[in-house]
Amino acid sequence: MPVPFIMPKFDMDQEKATIISWSKKEGDFIKFDETVLTVETEKVAIDVPAPATGTLARILFKDGDVVPVTKVIAYVLKEGETLADLPKAQESQGTPSKPEVAPVSQPAIAPAAVTLHATPVAVRMAKEEGVDLAQVPAAGDRVTRGDVERFIAHQKTLGRVAIPATPAARRVAQESRVALETIAGSGPRGRVQAADVLASVKTASASTNGREAELVPLTSMRRTIAERMQQSFRESPHIALTAEVDMSEAESIRRLFNMQTEKQGQPRITVTALIIKVVAWALLRHPYLNASFHGDSISLWKDVNIGVAAAAPHGLVVPVLRNADRLGVSEINMQVTELAGRARENKLRLEDVQGGTFTVSNLGMFGIRQFRAVINPPESAILAVGSVVRKPVVVDGEDHVGVRPVLSLTLSADHRVIDGIVAARFLSDLVTGLESPSLLLY
Amino acid sequence: MPEISYLEAIRQALWQEMKRDERVFLLGEDIGCYGGAFGLTHGMLDEFGPERIRETPISEATIVATAIGASLLGMRPVAEIMFMDFILLTLDQLANQAAKMRFMFGGRTTVPMVVRMPAGSGTGAASQHSQSLESVLMHFPGLKVVNPSTPYDAKGLMLAAIRDPNPVCFVEHKVLYKTKGEVPEGDYTIPLGVGEIKRAGRDITVVANNIMVMKTLHVAEKLSEAGIEVEVIDPRTLLPLDTQTIIDSVLRTGRLLVVHEACQTGGWAGEVIASVVGSPAFDYIDTPVRRLGGKDIPIPYNRGLEKIAIPQEDDIEQEIRAMVEGRI
Repeated sequence: MPVPFIMPKFDMDQEKATIISWSKKEGDFIKFDETVLTVETEKVAIDVPAPATGTLARILFKDGDVVPVTKVIAYVLKEGETLADLPKAQESQGTPSKPEVAPVSQPAIAPAAVTLHATPVAVRMAKEEGVDLAQVPAAGDRVTRGDVERFIAHQKTLGRVAIPATPAARRVAQESRVALETIAGSGPRGRVQAADVLASVKTASASTNGREAELVPLTSMRRTIAERMQQSFRESPHIALTAEVDMSEAESIRRLFNMQTEKQGQPRITVTALIIKVVAWALLRHPYLNASFHGDSISLWKDVNIGVAAAAPHGLVVPVLRNADRLGVSEINMQVTELAGRARENKLRLEDVQGGTFTVSNLGMFGIRQFRAVINPPESAILAVGSVVRKPVVVDGEDHVGVRPVLSLTLSADHRVIDGIVAARFLSDLVTGLESPSLLLY
Repeated sequence: MPEISYLEAIRQALWQEMKRDERVFLLGEDIGCYGGAFGLTHGMLDEFGPERIRETPISEATIVATAIGASLLGMRPVAEIMFMDFILLTLDQLANQAAKMRFMFGGRTTVPMVVRMPAGSGTGAASQHSQSLESVLMHFPGLKVVNPSTPYDAKGLMLAAIRDPNPVCFVEHKVLYKTKGEVPEGDYTIPLGVGEIKRAGRDITVVANNIMVMKTLHVAEKLSEAGIEVEVIDPRTLLPLDTQTIIDSVLRTGRLLVVHEACQTGGWAGEVIASVVGSPAFDYIDTPVRRLGGKDIPIPYNRGLEKIAIPQEDDIEQEIRAMVEGRI
């Protein structure tokens, strides 16, 4: 039976992808795992590999089409199969003429799903590597060790961005500081040629209307930031609440922790790590702050995945700390350091930036006292953290003034999901948790 | 400057060098009273006598072995192998002896001989008399492989080859024998290992040897009218290969095509391409690097098939157009 070629799902929240270009046409012989088309999700352009070896047949969507994930976009005819083996076209949906051909009953990816044919080595390997054998496409009539290896290798490369460009185009792009992903290639299969890069640089400088400016073409990262922030501001009615925290207790517990990290030769615990710990604790008590709005429903996420805004060479990225509620401060600290380091080196993987349920943005290290952050969709709230400042405050009921380390926190929340009072309760718990960290043990 | 043929240019070089240097002598099959299978040594027996124009039995191994022995004893032999195809009979002498002696004797002896051999198809001589085996000879360090495309280069390279202290395989092309060009009457040499830009152009670098240089030049002229400027490089010597000239050219054009009559698989185009792709020119390549070689088949006897077995001008033109017009 021909293998249906489906639009893969790369992202947890991905619903569709745009076909940039097919590099193969109907009738072409394609090999398992070789690139057949390139699609674009809202984050990256991704090469889609062939699900099986055979002849590409019945391409159902053309370049530029937006296709929902898991939809069949073409078929692969295996050896000996002809076009006649394809399921009948589904145009006449209302009148199922030939009941014996039932494309619905076909498994989406691998026919191996029902009765699993695999070599013993493949079974053992899949077990060791934690691979679901049903997901592994077989090149032959059974899943072999080679199939499993290819599958694992393929999973690792899924998030990689590949842009076809000639060596000369890459050099010119680098010299002109133009991002290749912003350039439409004129070469075969959309390959970017040196002339395309030069033309793009030229157009960029022409569109300044004679006024002097350095024109910077949008990188795909910049474009994504622009689109998502715009979407957030347009769709989510933001409310913002600010509270001040006396950080005396937090500071002293941090000192205590750092005596420990010093002994163990680990990096010093940052204020951010401490805040993330308390945020995760508070989120468990306020599920609506850990939620996504869908128009007709709201997801209250079971996971607490905290995004931490970080600087990458070309803009903002938000790597995600998974299950932050289950991590200790020291573990949070190490993971945040590691993620921020990879963000700086531009080495984040797709999965590092996915699945966030709440974001913390800290500009305190720049001396910013207080600011409002824009919610990172599909999340519903974001916490803006300022700097810890020593300042005079009234310290008890008798109007005595003392000097205390004070931190200002500003919560932006999506009013569609979170009412002011819900936000206030959360923020109040956050303040309590930071002012009395020992409560977290309760 | 007088216009003479490629064949006459080689004869002139041999003649003049035999006059200049009495250590030079020729040996080969039918090179005496018959004047050689292609008439290249015509008249030389009368001029130089049987001592210096030596007829040999039909044994290529003996011809090359004799030349090696003579050169070790201070002579400057120029041996003729009637068809390049027969050089395979001499590979032990050439590759295991001639190429190695200077190294194995620590430089205390040299093998200053030249082995001439006409290569190539186009004469209806079928599979065993039409091959282009220069790529085979390039695999033996110690040999030099010279491959002229014009009468001028043929004479200058032949004089340099005879005076070179190393064994030189001098690969001629049968179809080129009749082509004419300006050749100085006097003495001049062209250094071995130095290529030449036969035509300058900005759009694509085409590297070709012997007959393919001529074909590419015709195509280049035609394409120039269409606005495509082809740079044509003739390495002239294949071993040692002048990669620098080619790399510099690709730095300017960003495109590289290598054309040869030798079978594509294992042909020297691969050597040129590897040298360029591994060089700083890599970052200037703007089109997939391509080669156009002879088909991987024995050269057919049928004239029509013989023609399509090797790159013709139409093939070269189509390949260049596809590359320059961005269809590859």
